[in-house]
Order: sequence, then structure tokens, then C-alpha cells
Amino acid sequence: MDSLLKKHGNTLKTTALILMLAIPFLLYAAALHGSILQVKLLIAIFIVNMLFVMKNG
Amino acid sequence: MTDLFFVKWILALSPILTVLVLMIFRNWSGSRAGAAGWFVALITATFAFGAHPILIAHSQAKGALLSLNVLYIIWAALLLYNVVNETGAIKAIGIGIQRFSGDKSIQILIFGWIFASFLQGVAGYGVPIAVVAPLLVGLGFSPVVAVAVPAIGHSWSVTFGSMGASFQALMAVSGLGAPDLAPWSATLLGITTFLCGICAVHVYGGWKMTKHSALAILVIGTAMAGTQYILAVSGMWTLGGFGASLVGLCSGLLVAKLKIYNQVPPSQTQSEMGLGWALSAYFILIVIVSSGVMIPPVEAFLGQINLTLVFPEIISMKGWVTQAGKGKAINIFGHGGALLLYATIIGFLIYRSKGFYQSHALKKIVQKTIKSGVPTSLGIVSMVCFAMIMDHCQMITILAEGISRVFGSIYPLVSPWIGLLGAFMTGSNTNSNVVFGVLQQETAQLAGLSAGLILAAQTTGGALGSMIAPAKILVGCSTVGLSGKEGPVLKATLQYGLIITGVVGMITMLFSYIS
Repeated sequence: MDSLLKKHGNTLKTTALILMLAIPFLLYAAALHGSILQVKLLIAIFIVNMLFVMKNG
Repeated sequence: MTDLFFVKWILALSPILTVLVLMIFRNWSGSRAGAAGWFVALITATFAFGAHPILIAHSQAKGALLSLNVLYIIWAALLLYNVVNETGAIKAIGIGIQRFSGDKSIQILIFGWIFASFLQGVAGYGVPIAVVAPLLVGLGFSPVVAVAVPAIGHSWSVTFGSMGASFQALMAVSGLGAPDLAPWSATLLGITTFLCGICAVHVYGGWKMTKHSALAILVIGTAMAGTQYILAVSGMWTLGGFGASLVGLCSGLLVAKLKIYNQVPPSQTQSEMGLGWALSAYFILIVIVSSGVMIPPVEAFLGQINLTLVFPEIISMKGWVTQAGKGKAINIFGHGGALLLYATIIGFLIYRSKGFYQSHALKKIVQKTIKSGVPTSLGIVSMVCFAMIMDHCQMITILAEGISRVFGSIYPLVSPWIGLLGAFMTGSNTNSNVVFGVLQQETAQLAGLSAGLILAAQTTGGALGSMIAPAKILVGCSTVGLSGKEGPVLKATLQYGLIITGVVGMITMLFSYIS
């Protein structure tokens, strides 16, 4: 796992940044449609992304 | 404060405290600490301040919009810097300046005060220290002085440097425009211009050298502070730091010709690229930004497409209401970042047509930009997002109310210290403004003070924090072989940073009485 992170660290961080900027807009759309399930699912993905940043950012 | 209010205040403070502790005591990067702060904000907001999934969703969308506004400038500024640096132009500018004077105090002022500020104007994010420190070592200064001088010298230009990214962030989070914020900010930062110059010389040569360079500091400082003020209040705040340092560079080169600064002969080193070509991308930038801001038809043409989202009224489970309204709009073609991109593209094409690039230059430029841009961006987005959660759950208002109750009428004395703290912990004036901007604004309103003045003190403190931010000191030390030995540099910059911030606090207090 560590070697994978070392090898693809920059790509993974870039992906994390893209997700960090994209998920909030999906959250906005889901919230406007009142879809609580989608909102919760997206928040869960956002949390996983933030966990990655906290560990490897 | 009642016991219950104190507990709520501590809980509201916990995300900021988390970032502080992790960065200062655990040496975490801004991005990691920001993400940790986001978690603490999410948990505290959910369990103590009535956050719910819809509130989180809207707050994060607002955070992403705000972040994009700031990141647009940051990425474009980094790209421009790398387009220029890849040609060897930054080195050529350094050599060009060096040929003007052999006087040590003038070298310190030109490199550590003016040229470092010029680099802050065009790039920022640690670039001034990283570029100037090795140049000063090459001129015979000790590594500690070589890092400390630009760290202190460039601080005054941070807010309006990097195409005004920090000022943009301050406007974005506070909702106030440039007319409300620019005059006070340019005034306080103008005063720090002189103080940074004095301290940059003092750190090397003590009071004797400071006295020797007093005339130069007075002339150059007036030119830079005056230019920054004029640019900031006339709507060209994106060029504030850059324009001021460019005028400072011209006045510095003139001052260097004075007899008292010409006792030692200057260097005769020549660079492959002329100073004119080296600066050409920045001349293009001046033309583009001036046209985009000062010519109304151009401004109107570029400002046709604005992206934003409309947010509904959001009520937390504790009853805190966030009014409905539009989020921060992104002016796709007229944004400061867009103007930077135009200058970058034209600059790149000119340099390429003149054969200044080696093979695969474009690939290297993109790689370097991504390498430095991603970690900075991760930190900014995570901190903006947690600040938005706090804002939607009354946490910032509670923090502001607590500070207002404790400090009351002497709050102006404290406000720059909050900005300094934010920049110290995050390594960025922009992040400091994002995290503490709303807090300072609300505290000012509760205390009946001018929000414009207090926010100016916030961003001035944030700018000064650049000289003591471990993140920036680490970058500088790594370029002069001081990695792992940052302590003496931090010790040197810390004393000057604290003194200047104290002076700014007193001046803010004085201005608060006048205004």
C-alpha cells in the first residue's frame, strides 16, 4: 500500500483535489432535488476523500 | 461569559485549534491539518451546533465556489512563474539587479526587500524566499541571513501580491468589495512596507547599517507604499504588490546610483538573457491587467460570463438561519486568474519564438506547476470548506461574540495578531483570511468597529505571518542547505514579526478612534 502511494502519490493527490472540488457541486444538485440518500452517500465519499488527504496530503 | 457559552465557544474553536496544534506541534502540512480541521468541524457542527446533511451539502458547495475563485489566481500565477523561470529569466533578473551596486545594504534592500516583493507579486507561495535566499548566499551573506532577509522583506507585499489572491479571498469571505477594504488595507500595509525594509537591513547589519540605508528605505518605501495604495484604491488591486515592487525596483536602481551607496564597485557578471527580455512576460501582464480593469468596454466584454449558484435559505437544527442568496460568482474571462492566463500564454509564445526554451519545456512547466499547486490547493479547499461549515452553524459568530465580550473596545489591538496566527498556522495569508475573515468581521460589527479597518488589520497580520510561517521558512532553508536547521532563522524572523505586528495593532487602535 505504501509503495503504491509512493509510486502514484502525485496522481492520487491530484485526483483527491478534483474530487474535493467536484463532489460539493454534486452535493448541491442532490440537496436541491431533496434526495437525502444521495446527499448522505456523497458526504460519505467526501469523508473518505478527506481521510485520504489527512493521511497523505 | 457563562459556563455554557464558554463550552460552546471552546467547541466552536476546536477546528481552528486542531489545525494550529497539528501544524505547530506535530509539523503537519497545511493540507493534512486542513483536512483534520474539516473533520473536527463536521463532527462538532453535527453533534453540538445542529448541522444536518442538507446544510453540509450547501455549505460545501459554497466552499467549492469560494475555493475556485482563489485557486483560479493561484494556479495561473504558478503557471506564469514557471513559464518565466523555465527560460532562466528569474536568474537573469537577479544578475541584472546585482550589476547596479556593490553596497551590502543596497543589495539587501534590492534583493531581500524589493526583488523578493516583486517575486511575491508574480508568484508567491514561498517562491520569494526560495529564489532570493540562494542569490544572497552567492553574494556572500550567511545562510541564516539569506533566508531571514527575504522572509522579512517580502511580507508587506503578500496581500496584494500573487495577483491579489489573499485580498480576493478576504473579499470573498467577507462579502465586502474593494472600495470598503482596499484603502485601509493599503494604508496598514504601506506602513509595514517601511518596517519590513528597516527590519530586513537590521537583521544583517544592526542599527549602524539601518542608519546608513535610511535614505534608501525612505525613498523606495514611499515609492512602493504609494504605488500600492494608488493601485489598490483605483480598482487595480490585482497589480498592487507587483506594480509597487516594479516601481520600487526602478527607484531602488536610481537610489543605488547615489554617492553614499557607491563606495564599493558593483558586480560585472553578465547573463545570457537581457533584463528587458527577462521582464517581458511581466510587461505583457501589466498591459493585459490594466486593459482588463481600466478600459470599460474590455472589462464589460470579458465579464459577460459569470458562473454562480443560487442557494436557498438554510436553517440549522438549532435554529441558526443562513439567508438565501447567490454564491461567489466566477467571472470566467475577466477574473484575475484569466488575465494572468492570457499573459502566460502570450509570454510563453514570445519566449518560444525567441528560442529561450530547451526541449520538453512545456512538459516541465506543467509538471512543476502541478507539483507545487496541488498541495497548496488541497490545503486551501479543506480550510475553506471547514470555514463554511462553521459559518453555517453559528460557530464563527459564537467565536466572534466571545472575543468581543473579552476584548471589547481594545479589539483593534488584537486583530492583526489573529491574522498573524492564521498565517503562521497555515503558511498562507489567503488561508488566514479565509479561516478568520468572517470571525474578524463579525467581531468588529459586534464591537461597533469599522469592519473595513479590522479586516485590513487581519490581512496585514496575515501578510506579516509569512515571515514566521514554518511552511515558508522550511522552503527557504531547503534552498541554502539549512534543512533541519530552521531554528535560528525562525528565531530571527519571529522577533521582527512580533514587533511589527505589535506596531500594526497599535496603529489599528489609533485608526479605530479616528474612524
